[in-house]
Amino acid sequence: MAGPAGGGDRAYKRSWKNLLINKRYQLQFTLFMVGLSSLLMIGLGIWVMKEANEGTKVGMASVRGGDCGPLEVVPPKEDDVRPTTPMHLDDGDGSAAAAGSASGSADASGSDAATSGSGSGSATGDRAAGSAAAEPAHRRPHVQLDNSEMTMVPQPEAILPAKPVLTAAELATRLHKQQAEVFGNRVCAIAQQIQFEHLEFGRLRIFIVLLLTGLALVVGLAVYGIKMTHKVAGPLFKVGLYLNKMREGRFDKVWNLRKGDQLVDFYEHFKAAHAGMVTLEKTDIERIQAVIAAAEASGLGAHASIASLRAVLARKEKALV
Amino acid sequence: MSEPIPPAAAPGDAKPAGPPGKRPVYKRKLSNYLLDAKLQLPYLLFVTILSGLIAGALGWLIYNQRHTASASIVKDLAELGQGSGIDFDKSDFKEVANGLEADDRMLVYKMVGVGIGLVVILSAYLVIMTHKVAGPLYKVSMYFDRMADGRLGNVTPLRQGDMLQDFYLTFSEMHASVRGRFAEDATEMEAALAALREAGNHADYRGHLHGDFTAQLGQLEAHLAARRKQLA
Repeated sequence: MAGPAGGGDRAYKRSWKNLLINKRYQLQFTLFMVGLSSLLMIGLGIWVMKEANEGTKVGMASVRGGDCGPLEVVPPKEDDVRPTTPMHLDDGDGSAAAAGSASGSADASGSDAATSGSGSGSATGDRAAGSAAAEPAHRRPHVQLDNSEMTMVPQPEAILPAKPVLTAAELATRLHKQQAEVFGNRVCAIAQQIQFEHLEFGRLRIFIVLLLTGLALVVGLAVYGIKMTHKVAGPLFKVGLYLNKMREGRFDKVWNLRKGDQLVDFYEHFKAAHAGMVTLEKTDIERIQAVIAAAEASGLGAHASIASLRAVLARKEKALV
Repeated sequence: MSEPIPPAAAPGDAKPAGPPGKRPVYKRKLSNYLLDAKLQLPYLLFVTILSGLIAGALGWLIYNQRHTASASIVKDLAELGQGSGIDFDKSDFKEVANGLEADDRMLVYKMVGVGIGLVVILSAYLVIMTHKVAGPLYKVSMYFDRMADGRLGNVTPLRQGDMLQDFYLTFSEMHASVRGRFAEDATEMEAALAALREAGNHADYRGHLHGDFTAQLGQLEAHLAARRKQLA
């Protein structure tokens, strides 16, 4: 990482494969961060989904509460319909009806004649004659009513409401109205369905957003964690290399950090420490050189101790190269 | 981190609690958790903003969902009241609507509380985690400052739970090696000094050369004495 000697402002490029420099520190930091965030996210997600489900359920119940009514036209029953007056009479049943009608008119005329004539006996005779003329085979019993024997009972109110009987026009109106209602109800049902889908979509959207957010958080934090710890691990790696050199007795030139690296202050402390050790070596060298020079001047240059001092001096000078 | 403090007085470090020879018990102090703001605050800010955004987005979604349901119920109640000829504002419906509104508001408060809790937990965690990195760096920085002054005293181990143990081991090994080498050199120089002093005393010459040589030996002796102090 220190690179070859040659200049302090070389262009450094970060490589993805080198992002995990200090696996123990970087993974420990990042995984702990990701793990904790995942736990919090799962807890939050469960709560949010519970709330979302409840909200959706309430919303759906509210929508379902609005009754749209029948979705089909109810066909009318036979007794709902009043038969319309025929425009012309048939020969079969119609003739009997016509005969009845005729006899009725005859009765009336006979009755009127009897009232105006001699009394009830003649009237009865006339009615009989008239009936005999209309229905010769059927004879009716004679009932005589006397006003003094009649007890007048007030007519009771109708217990059951009379069933409305509709004409064809009314029926057509009713059907038309029903069709309009059914159309409205279908629109209402579709609107309800749309509302259901909207609520369900809202719930699903929350779930998807939650899921994507969780994934983004995990991936984002993992990448961010590794990138950020790399900015710490990078300088530490570099300092570690220098520390190894210092351990082996080499005090090389210390290069600057890359742009964007963290621990700039820490690195400055290291550079000061490195410089301090270099100073120690240099003062030792100066002292030893001075003693050797004095010894040589005094004629003690060949002394064994001077030889050992020379060895120390050589080692120290080599350390500073 | 910029002010050099002797490692013995490092924040978070404690005085030896047990009898001499035993490893001192270290205790972390709350006030020292933000050791290196420059290192720790970026993590803190990033995660705080991220968790705030996530909690806010989820809160908005869940509030929206809940509020839609509440609004639907209130609307139905209003329609029901209108259909029955009931004055909405004077009926129980109003109370129900107010209850729903209060529930919605409570949800917002809960979401805000959860968001704040999330931010606080993550921030506290990050302060602790980054402190476990900043702590060793702080300690090493103080040793570096001592080395810059030429002092190579003893190095104490990191606290339990600290991160960067590998790095600290590398530093400790370097420190021990450098200290050992300087001590070894000092020993060699002391031996040479003693031998040369002896040889100088027996030498058969007098004059200013002898005086210079003796002075150099005296300076070397002072230098070695200072070095011994530095290595203590």
